[in-house]
Amino acid sequence: MLGLGVDRLRADMNRLLALLFHQGVLDEQFVQLQQLQDESSPNFVCEVVNIYFHESEKLLKNLRGLLMEREFSDYKKMGIHLNQFMGSSSSIGAKRVRNVCVAFRAASEQNNRAGCLRALELLEHEYCYLKNKLHELFHIEQNRVLAAGVRYPMQN
Amino acid sequence: MQRVAQSSLSTSVAGSYGSFKGGGSGSGSAAQVMVYEQFPAGLRVLVVDDDVTCLRIIEQMLHRCRYNGKLHAEKSYAALTCIMVKLVTTCSEAAVALNHLRERKGCFDVVLSDVHMPDMDGYKLLEHVGLEMDLPVIMMSADGRTSAVMKGIRHGACDYLIKPIREEELKNIWQHVVRKKWNENKELEHSSSLEDKRGNDDAEYASSANEGAEGILKAQKKRGNAKDEDDGELENDDPSTSKKPRVVWSVELHQQFVSAVNQLGLDKAVPKRILELMNVPGLTRENVASHLQKFRLYLKRLSGVAQQQSGVSNTICGPVEPNVKLGSLGRFDIQALAASGQIPPQTLAALHAELLGRPTGNLIPAMDQPALLQALLQGPNHLPIEHGVAFGQPLIKCQSNISKYLQQPKLSSVEDVSSGLGAWTSNNLGTVGPSNNLVGLSVQNSNMLMDILQQQQQESQQQSMLPEPSCLINVQPSCLVVPSQSSANLQAGNNTASVSQNCYFNRSSVIDYSLLSPQSNNSSLNIGEFPNGGLNTTGVLSGYSAPGSISSSVSSSSVNADNSMGRQGQSSSITFSAARQLPGLVPNMHDIQGSYTSKNGEMLDQGPLRNLGFSGKGTCIPSRFAVDEFESPMNNLGHGKLYVENSRVKQEPNVDFMDNTKVGIPILHQFSFNDVASVFTE
Repeated sequence: MLGLGVDRLRADMNRLLALLFHQGVLDEQFVQLQQLQDESSPNFVCEVVNIYFHESEKLLKNLRGLLMEREFSDYKKMGIHLNQFMGSSSSIGAKRVRNVCVAFRAASEQNNRAGCLRALELLEHEYCYLKNKLHELFHIEQNRVLAAGVRYPMQN
Repeated sequence: MQRVAQSSLSTSVAGSYGSFKGGGSGSGSAAQVMVYEQFPAGLRVLVVDDDVTCLRIIEQMLHRCRYNGKLHAEKSYAALTCIMVKLVTTCSEAAVALNHLRERKGCFDVVLSDVHMPDMDGYKLLEHVGLEMDLPVIMMSADGRTSAVMKGIRHGACDYLIKPIREEELKNIWQHVVRKKWNENKELEHSSSLEDKRGNDDAEYASSANEGAEGILKAQKKRGNAKDEDDGELENDDPSTSKKPRVVWSVELHQQFVSAVNQLGLDKAVPKRILELMNVPGLTRENVASHLQKFRLYLKRLSGVAQQQSGVSNTICGPVEPNVKLGSLGRFDIQALAASGQIPPQTLAALHAELLGRPTGNLIPAMDQPALLQALLQGPNHLPIEHGVAFGQPLIKCQSNISKYLQQPKLSSVEDVSSGLGAWTSNNLGTVGPSNNLVGLSVQNSNMLMDILQQQQQESQQQSMLPEPSCLINVQPSCLVVPSQSSANLQAGNNTASVSQNCYFNRSSVIDYSLLSPQSNNSSLNIGEFPNGGLNTTGVLSGYSAPGSISSSVSSSSVNADNSMGRQGQSSSITFSAARQLPGLVPNMHDIQGSYTSKNGEMLDQGPLRNLGFSGKGTCIPSRFAVDEFESPMNNLGHGKLYVENSRVKQEPNVDFMDNTKVGIPILHQFSFNDVASVFTE
């Protein structure tokens, strides 16, 4: 019974992962993250992703704050935030988020405020989607671990 | 391999490196025995990044390198020490990293630094480290555009990694440490024999300094050679060969150096004479020679390399008093300076000295501006400094300030030089040069420059190149930069670091974009403005009422396109516009992504505009890339897998194409789900 639950949970997780890869939400870099997880850092992926969420939310808040300013003109600052967002997103394998950042950056380089706003909206959307899915993933993983009673590195 | 033996590398990995120690003087053969699998272990890395996510990941990766090393090593070795310095948006934090390095000079073997950090420019850190500690510095960035990478190289980075960084790349960073050590070691062996040769070489240096027009490649090659030689002397603390203590070029020492150089005149500055003038005990001619080399490169980098300088008169407005207020120069002076296009090296050196005199202050008070301006207007022929190395803090500031001045995202007086700006941008075509390329100003731009200088902007990390006076611009109708929106144009001119791309792009695709005439200043560029969300990138361009900003957006976005187009970019843009226009379609974004790649080919049915979508890619890339880059996207059409592959490419195919397509916004057609899904099943 217990074993069955574990297997099913693992299957669920794999299915979700496969979907995310298909959708382009995640890419190869995420696999690298998973491979970096080992006995010495058994919660590595979760840890990094949580750091990422934490930082990203700050960045998103900053970006929105910047764009909402009445006299907004500091595209450069926005570019810096974007750069960081892009770097961290690509580092964890959040491909779609990163791509939106790229578009966002292009808009900001053109000083296109409206474009930036739209990009920000899309970015927030993508980010939320990613966050939800990753939370779901970790949830399944957690259950699986509980069910199995042993910690495994996440496997594809 | 004495160097390695003495480095912290070996001391911390006692066992593994036993073969290197005591190898005798200059026994290069012993150095060849490298226990490669053990080597990365014990490598002490300082990672500097403001992004905690990346820091954590890199830390883990570096730990893994050691872990892998463990498998091979039989002897125990010291743990790999990674000290992560997190930079937050406060100035003090940036200094922390530097202090860290300074305090523990012998404690790190290599530095990994991010390029864009809110409070400190990665390049500044790089130069500090290179200057003071001579550690190999590897830059990292999410920005993988060729121009950015080029900038990193120019600043002396040993390597430039593009995020996301893979473990394999980190495993290789040890090579930079080894290479550096080996080069120094090699020089060590030859240093004594070269001492005599130096006398002749110095004369060469002095004369070559005046040769103008040295290409960057040539410069860098020379730099590579010179650096090797020089480093050996400066860093030799090896007891077995010549016992020269490492010379640290403090600000005072450097000031002495500069004043000596000024006295002699940069053209005639020979290490021997400089040494005499400086009269510093313990300083050897070799130290001075290498420092001079670096200094020349630095100045050259400040002033820019002139490949296209031509027809610029040699009238030089004499050395400018550093204390003269800029305002007093007046436009006429600026124009004269611009016309001259050249600044005597003494002036530049004077500028340098002036800057040194202000170690901590803001480098560009009003009184520095004229000197700075001259530096900016420096004719490229004049100071062929081949390797840019910032010397001391003030100089670094100066450099960034110069770039700051040149870059003016918000010029108030831009309007009156809009045509100049156009010229500016189009003039960038020719000038592919070092980062701070102040190739010269057109008369029109000089006015703007004055305004720029007067505005005293802070914090610019970007650098732009000014067109040389000779290529006076004509803003042709087909010119990419349409001066309808001066700010937009300025933006185009201000494109970060991607100036070289700008050049190519502008040149080749100018005509293509002539279709984009400034019809309106509709700032809602491209993004999401497509009612029907078609996939046709070219269609977008034509369909859009091209605001004035489009041309600049085109230029700027295609500027980014220095690499092949990435499918992913396209799909992102699709989702991007889709999200705005078709909220209902959002959940299907992923479907569209796939479909886009396959449908794209079909979408491109508009002849003249077809090029628009791709020409930027195809043409904005340096010619040697053009063929490959242009074709690959076409070949990849319909390959749903493409974007997965592309994501692994180090450069930014996604980004570039993304930028490009953004301009020509892809229009999403309404596909049936089956159509779309079928694409996915590869």
